[in-house]
Amino acid sequence: MEDIRDLIGFNVDDGYIEALVRGYKSSLLSSVDYVNLTQCETLEDVRMHLNGTEYSVVLQDEPSPLTASIIAEKCSVKLVSDFQYIRSQSTNPLTKFLDYLTYPYMIDNLVLLVTGTLHERDIGELLEKCNTLGSFPAMSTLSIVSTPEELYREILVDTPLAPYFAECVSFDDLTETNIEIIRNILYKAYLEDFYQFCCSLGGTTEKIMCEILQFEADRRIINITLNSLGSKLSREARENLYPSIGSLVPEGTLKLSRAEDVQSVNSVLESYDLFRRLLQYSTDSPGKSLEDSFIEYEVQLSKKTFEQQFHYGVFYGFLKLREQEIRNILWICECISQRHRTGIGNYVTIF
Amino acid sequence: MQSQTKTKRTKLLSVIGDEDTVCGFLLAGIGEVNQHKESNYFVVKKDTPVSAIEETFKRFTSSEDIAVVIINQHVAEKIRDLVYSYRAPIPAVLEIPSKDQPYDLSQDSTVKRVRQMLGLGA
Amino acid sequence: MASAAGDRLNVVPSRMTLTQIKGRLAGANKGHSMLKKKSDALTVRLRSILKQVLEKKNLTGDVCREALISLAVAKYIVGEDFKLHIMENVDKSSLKVSFHSENIAGVTIPVFEKVSVDDDGTEYYGESVKDISGNGVSKEISEGLSNKFHSYVSLSGLSKGGQQIATCGENFRKAADTLISLAELQTSFTLLDEAVKITNRRVNALENVVIPRLENTVAYIISELDELEREEFFRLKLVQNWKERESKNAQQLREQLERTRQGFSSFEMDSYETKERLVEGLASNDDSDIIF
Repeated sequence: MEDIRDLIGFNVDDGYIEALVRGYKSSLLSSVDYVNLTQCETLEDVRMHLNGTEYSVVLQDEPSPLTASIIAEKCSVKLVSDFQYIRSQSTNPLTKFLDYLTYPYMIDNLVLLVTGTLHERDIGELLEKCNTLGSFPAMSTLSIVSTPEELYREILVDTPLAPYFAECVSFDDLTETNIEIIRNILYKAYLEDFYQFCCSLGGTTEKIMCEILQFEADRRIINITLNSLGSKLSREARENLYPSIGSLVPEGTLKLSRAEDVQSVNSVLESYDLFRRLLQYSTDSPGKSLEDSFIEYEVQLSKKTFEQQFHYGVFYGFLKLREQEIRNILWICECISQRHRTGIGNYVTIF
Repeated sequence: MQSQTKTKRTKLLSVIGDEDTVCGFLLAGIGEVNQHKESNYFVVKKDTPVSAIEETFKRFTSSEDIAVVIINQHVAEKIRDLVYSYRAPIPAVLEIPSKDQPYDLSQDSTVKRVRQMLGLGA
Repeated sequence: MASAAGDRLNVVPSRMTLTQIKGRLAGANKGHSMLKKKSDALTVRLRSILKQVLEKKNLTGDVCREALISLAVAKYIVGEDFKLHIMENVDKSSLKVSFHSENIAGVTIPVFEKVSVDDDGTEYYGESVKDISGNGVSKEISEGLSNKFHSYVSLSGLSKGGQQIATCGENFRKAADTLISLAELQTSFTLLDEAVKITNRRVNALENVVIPRLENTVAYIISELDELEREEFFRLKLVQNWKERESKNAQQLREQLERTRQGFSSFEMDSYETKERLVEGLASNDDSDIIF
């Protein structure tokens, strides 16, 4: 039923933009491109190869010498401009959906700025380093802020992130709690909120996005568990960071929160088909970590969004694929500049 | 013949280099920012003026609190004269490879001196 | 040597100065041989350090490369941005260096020691850096402790890439260890190099300036003293000759006198002349004594 509603109404508002994104998607680097890139001897060769792709615009005027970071940065610039173009063409609720996609970057930026103010760094310098995707209007006024208190009162309340702060982080925490914990709490709140929003959209969007977000939540839960093993993070604190969505909730999270070592984490994951496969994959292929198999699975999910029409998942998928592409390019460039030939193939081919 | 005396004074390592190198060593935990907001690390970007590098190098090598100055070879190359004329034993200046540039041992100021002494050619 | 041939100390040649200078020469020779030994000992040590420095330098290249690659892996998983968070989170150093000094043939050389500092500011003195790689026990300790440090680092990448960041940190700590031990070698190298140079300068100064000068002085004093002795001998000889001649003359006179006395009665006049001559000779004898 709902699918039919999608079919009727979707193209009125979002048809053009979906077409746009599919166009962007087709310009993603192919496996042939990657093979060509890995054959490069220098970063100049990389530039030459990228000149044949959509990145030619941003790279051609860049003065030599190039570094891996510069190339990745320039590619991000392209991603940001594409994304902002899409957003400017969109209408609600797609605009809202696209805004949601920028919140993770906003969280990162905020955390960076809070850290900066806590250590009394030069805010102006930090602002330059912030991710443009996650910029918010109040950011430019941040330079007037000198304490975390002011930061919260003057800036945070006006950002879309304010509710997350209000819900999960009390003002005192800003100075006392480890900044990484705050970041994760914020992200958790964001993930839950985004999930609710996608559910409210209904239709194919709900179906596709919920699967993706659940996986994202699961991945966070597993990673937080694995990375907090042996750290000072208490069991309660760990559980507090778990998002309340995902296929692991509630039984898996309960078990994971009690896990003390890698073996027990693995035994919990064994009972879930997906994670058993991912674990198996990472143990079977040498040089790959669980993190790598997560990334590959995310790419698969993102690719899958393009198999159906008339939903918002494509925007999410496109953003993730482009990000992965930039990371691939960064990795290849790093390997080339460090002459690390053996590991150069460790990227994830998208198409 | 050998005697050991222990002085309980600890000193810092410091690093001058590109972003990645600095970040890596910060990750290892060598970073420190003192009350005057002076840090013991210095990031050299593409547009960092040589004078700033020289100043930092002088500040680190004359500091009481620093025992080792780690510097990327391509950065050392920019202030080669300064590095080569620096001969004090402490802080020790160590040149390390950077990721973008090939590591040329023969350019290293210590290696140069060592090779001269061993008679392996300048 | 040749240039210093005429060079000598400005002294009054006497037996006492000779003894003094000879004493100084012996001292200089002894000092020379001891310094020579010291210089040899230092050179041996320096050479072994030189080799180690070169080895370590090569090793550093590999270690740093490995660390940088692990950083690239972390960047691949987490994204470029995590570097910023690391940089903004710097507060107090958790990896420091302390010294104690070691004495090699009179040259003080610092031994570097890694110090890990945890959040509370407690300092853990690691094994002397060079022991860590070979010593299994201390490695375990340092690994056990490493989790306690850098709480901000170990939590970064909590939700993504934490292990990669941890690996990266571990690799850079290894690199730092290598660099600390390299720093120790390099410092020793610089200090020893300086010490060897100073010692060699002293050895050369003794060998080419001080000792030849003292030897020249000794030779000069000896030659002067010899000269004096020869003059004395010559004078004595002269006096002796003269005395012999005089005693011979006196003998002749006495004999003449005797003979004259015997024939006095017949040659009264002769005897008178002889007596007068005798008085004259005695007078001149007195004179010559005074002159001499």
